[in-house]
Amino acid sequence: MANSLRLYLTCIRSTLEAAMCLQNFPCQEVERHNKPEVELQTSPELLLNPVLICRNEAEKCLIETSINSLRISLKVKQADELENILTKKFLRFLSMRAEAFQVLRRKPVQGYDISFLITNYHCEEMQKHKLIDFIVQFMEDIDKEISELKMSVNTRGRLVAAEFLKQFI
Amino acid sequence: MAAISVHRFASCITCHSWSPDRSMVAFCPNSNEVHIYRLSEDKWERAYVLQKHDQIVSGIDWSARSNRIVTVSHDRNSYVWNMEGSEWVPTLVILRLNRAALCVQWSPQENKFAVGSGAKTVCICYYEPENNWWVSKLIRKRHNSSVTSVAWHPNNILLATTSTDGKCRVFSTFIKGVDTRDSEAGASVDAKFGEQILQLDLSHSWAFGVKWSPRGNTLAYVGHNSMIYFVDGVGPSPLAQNVLLRGLPLRDVLFLSERMAVGVGFDCNPMVFAADDSGIWNFIRFLGERKTSSSSGSKYGSQFSEAFGKFYGQSRQGTSNDGGENSRHLGSVHENCITCIVSLGELGSSSTRRFSTSGVDGNIVIWDLENSEDLLEFL
Repeated sequence: MANSLRLYLTCIRSTLEAAMCLQNFPCQEVERHNKPEVELQTSPELLLNPVLICRNEAEKCLIETSINSLRISLKVKQADELENILTKKFLRFLSMRAEAFQVLRRKPVQGYDISFLITNYHCEEMQKHKLIDFIVQFMEDIDKEISELKMSVNTRGRLVAAEFLKQFI
Repeated sequence: MAAISVHRFASCITCHSWSPDRSMVAFCPNSNEVHIYRLSEDKWERAYVLQKHDQIVSGIDWSARSNRIVTVSHDRNSYVWNMEGSEWVPTLVILRLNRAALCVQWSPQENKFAVGSGAKTVCICYYEPENNWWVSKLIRKRHNSSVTSVAWHPNNILLATTSTDGKCRVFSTFIKGVDTRDSEAGASVDAKFGEQILQLDLSHSWAFGVKWSPRGNTLAYVGHNSMIYFVDGVGPSPLAQNVLLRGLPLRDVLFLSERMAVGVGFDCNPMVFAADDSGIWNFIRFLGERKTSSSSGSKYGSQFSEAFGKFYGQSRQGTSNDGGENSRHLGSVHENCITCIVSLGELGSSSTRRFSTSGVDGNIVIWDLENSEDLLEFL
């Protein structure tokens, strides 16, 4: 793993560890409701300052915390148009299956490629460090996945082109 | 070993409370029920299930003298349970709340109880014998956000509250006909019902878990910014001290004596704080022993291999799931955030060695300081 990626991920890991101090908290505005405050944003005193971690302009991670929920939004590196379309399609594929991942948000926050929403219920069911491991592992794998996809698209393109051009020899 | 008994009752426990003789424990398994377990021949068995609430139960308190249980829930209701024959009989308390109730505590004389709520109010409830019900009196327009915790001063009049607006407040709860004005309680008791005695604006983040020391000289509460606050001389000229923590924030605090307090929270390990002779509060140590991370280098025992192990551990951190940072979670008695700490001391005594904690991992742990010689001097 590249050294700068490791620093980036370590920073995210420690930020998440500090931010993931969630608890059950009923809604102050609506009677008998219990909703993630980070999505409602109705009581400013229940929100903490958002943290933005950037590796460079193209890769960043926004962590927004509230008393009972936490939102992590990622922007994945997209060097060229091919990577752009691959990222878009791949993350859309994941977002459409959000219920299988539990912590995945169906729609990313504006300006980001993919978002996670972790509530106090996830922290009650799952172990906190495993949740953090999952997020960090996901970030690590997504770059690998995209570059592998890009490689196989390129390889396939080359093969097809070679096959096609054979008939003119 | 400081933890003398660990028992996993449920997958998650929101709060718990002990019966007066400590033979039974009432807790909420993160649902709308309250379970009461009895210890018989070293085994816990379920004795009663209290079903009346229809949302998660957020607070339980079992009164020490009158053997009554009060429960509050996110469904805005509160019940007082009385033992009649062999059954617990509920009495509905009209709290007049329009948001969830979050915490509850009996007053020391057990003629009143206080309920903190998400409606930014505190209810003081007392029994009216002529109507045979519990009446609620509200302290309104003082809190700017949900009231997360309430604590009674031993004089039965003063009530301390913490709120998610980051402030800790002390109110007078004198109710005519319920309380009597006795001269020994001091000048602060002369205030009317709902009058604010003190407002502490120390924390920049949410405040939780307020408690008084056994004699009521010191007030402690915790903030979500990893701070714990000790306030001496509550009155016209309070004296506050902040203690900054290295780790994650605390959720609740309990005084074991006038000079020693235990804080519990997201670090999953109780932290002991004590005041030295000049009254300065300091962090002493973690109570639960934590297994030091036995990384791959430790078995060689030389300096070089130690450094190698550290380097190896660091490089693995990003890739493997059992990196050095995570091992500490497995070493402590609680595996998730501790949310509740209850004293197991004698009623009316000024110090205690035993207390119990419960948390999101569903364990109830009983702690005893008997073998911790370094801490006993503070009792």
